[in-house]
Amino acid sequence: MEKYLIFCLYGPLAAWGDIAVGEYRPSFAHPSKSAVVGLLAAALGIHRDNVEQQKKLATACSFAVRVDAIGTLLRDYHTSQVPSAKKGVTHYTRRSELAAGDLSTILSSRDYRCDAAYTVAIKVRAGAEYTAQQLADALLKPIFTLYLGRKSCPLALPLQPRVDSFATLKEALATVTLDDDELPGVAQDSHVSIYWEEDQVSGFEYERVITRRDTPLSRTRWQFGERRENHCTIRKGE
Amino acid sequence: MSTFVQLHLLTSYPPSNLNRDDLGRPKTAVMGGKTRLRVSSQSLKRAWRTSALFESALDGHIGKRTKKMGLEVYKMLCAKGVAENKAKELAIEVVGFFGATENAVKNKPLKELESSQLIHFNQSEMLALSDLTEKIAKDAKVDTDDLKKLVAKRYDIDVAMFGRMLTGKEVVKVTKNTEAAVQVAHAVTVHEVAVEDDYFTAVDDLNNGEEDAGAAHIGETEFASGAFYLYLCINRDLLEENLGGDKALAKKALTALVESAAKVAPNGKQNSFASRAYASYIMAEKGEQQPRSLSVAFLKPVRGEDIMNKAIAELEAKRANMEKVYGLCAAGDPMIMNAETGEGSLNDIATFVTE
Repeated sequence: MEKYLIFCLYGPLAAWGDIAVGEYRPSFAHPSKSAVVGLLAAALGIHRDNVEQQKKLATACSFAVRVDAIGTLLRDYHTSQVPSAKKGVTHYTRRSELAAGDLSTILSSRDYRCDAAYTVAIKVRAGAEYTAQQLADALLKPIFTLYLGRKSCPLALPLQPRVDSFATLKEALATVTLDDDELPGVAQDSHVSIYWEEDQVSGFEYERVITRRDTPLSRTRWQFGERRENHCTIRKGE
Repeated sequence: MSTFVQLHLLTSYPPSNLNRDDLGRPKTAVMGGKTRLRVSSQSLKRAWRTSALFESALDGHIGKRTKKMGLEVYKMLCAKGVAENKAKELAIEVVGFFGATENAVKNKPLKELESSQLIHFNQSEMLALSDLTEKIAKDAKVDTDDLKKLVAKRYDIDVAMFGRMLTGKEVVKVTKNTEAAVQVAHAVTVHEVAVEDDYFTAVDDLNNGEEDAGAAHIGETEFASGAFYLYLCINRDLLEENLGGDKALAKKALTALVESAAKVAPNGKQNSFASRAYASYIMAEKGEQQPRSLSVAFLKPVRGEDIMNKAIAELEAKRANMEKVYGLCAAGDPMIMNAETGEGSLNDIATFVTE
């Protein structure tokens, strides 16, 4: 038996950052481990620049997610006016920036997922600083604002964290179902995808292994390491 | 645990194109499987923080412009038991870091403590400077590094609220990134929307129609109208922290934020559509529980006539039901302003949010 922390993720918009350099900011179709661990860290009040604590938390969590609704892709066209960088000139307010005169426009495209819903299962590995129950308590009364990958994507359902022991990941996930009453028009897919880290006793047969670069290494330098994830698709409710 | 203030606003815009994509079309999103009109959070925040309302509400409350900071530092040092002459010397050194000081004047012994130009001191800088006098008095010397650190603490209200990420090499030497205390969601309509095309022509006033009776210009512009649901979540503790612990300033910032969210529309195509609108409904909640938007109230698009009243009913019912099912989210009842029924006021909301 393993202890699991299970919670739901839903908001009208979500963004699960993929590798982004330059003007295109893509999103994965399912949450990255870094985003979910970041959510837990925010709930606990661990600062973004506290590299050590962030890393510890990421290592302590074995991450699995069920995609209850994959949603649709939204590509947002984003413009932003910025003055060119000048040595010795520091702008402390937006107003002073815009008054600088030599404004240029930065274009970028940001991907979001609309109507997506997920169920997350976290197994807290041995030797971790926080218990699953402590994480659940933090999610109920967080220190920092929680969001789905980007700050402009608030949660639109309570996370409903619960902690319980299960023999397999499959049993853990089976306890949570998202129905149409709660999220009308959202969770309509007949099949759901499940992704999990290799050290979980899953109870699922994996179909493929994918590699994602989403293990937080340094939040200040924005570096991420590779991580392997098992994937399978099952019929909903199976 | 932190105190979160949540604001739910419903605002109805007439035909407009507030926030455009790369093709000039109003931005949209899919919610509950149906297309909705959308205004991005970035667009909203820009409109608020560059608005006259925001400026005037906060003007005079953000720090101070003064020549007399040296006098203040001098007084503080004297109060901490530093000899007058030494205090003068140290105060001049402190102010000298920010700008040139006046020359000594015979009958005005403290004139040389004044800076020759007005210097803008941020509220947080003034607090930090006051704290620093403790150390200066103890060491009887001024450490430039301390002053540099003090400058790094300066955040103005817009940065404290909406955060900023800096990457410029020079900038990051003196200041650090600020985590936004205010979360703003993209505003989406409570109903399904089809974007319409406005076919327009422009007439040449001096063309008498003898040769060419056609229009001088034809074009198309896309627009739509809708009732938007907007959600904001403010982390009060973080806002106060970002403002250097200044509770009074945090209150002013919150009042300005509530007012601009209710009254200021994004600027996009205002000259063509004049679609400025005030919020018809605001619900404010306060509490320590995990915040959540109430957008699920509109997953089933609101249909038919009287959309605003239906949307209000859906929102209130959803909030009540969510509380029933998941337990309380806010401490106590929410504060409501309803322009359909004339119930409550923006002032009530501001008071509720700031108290």
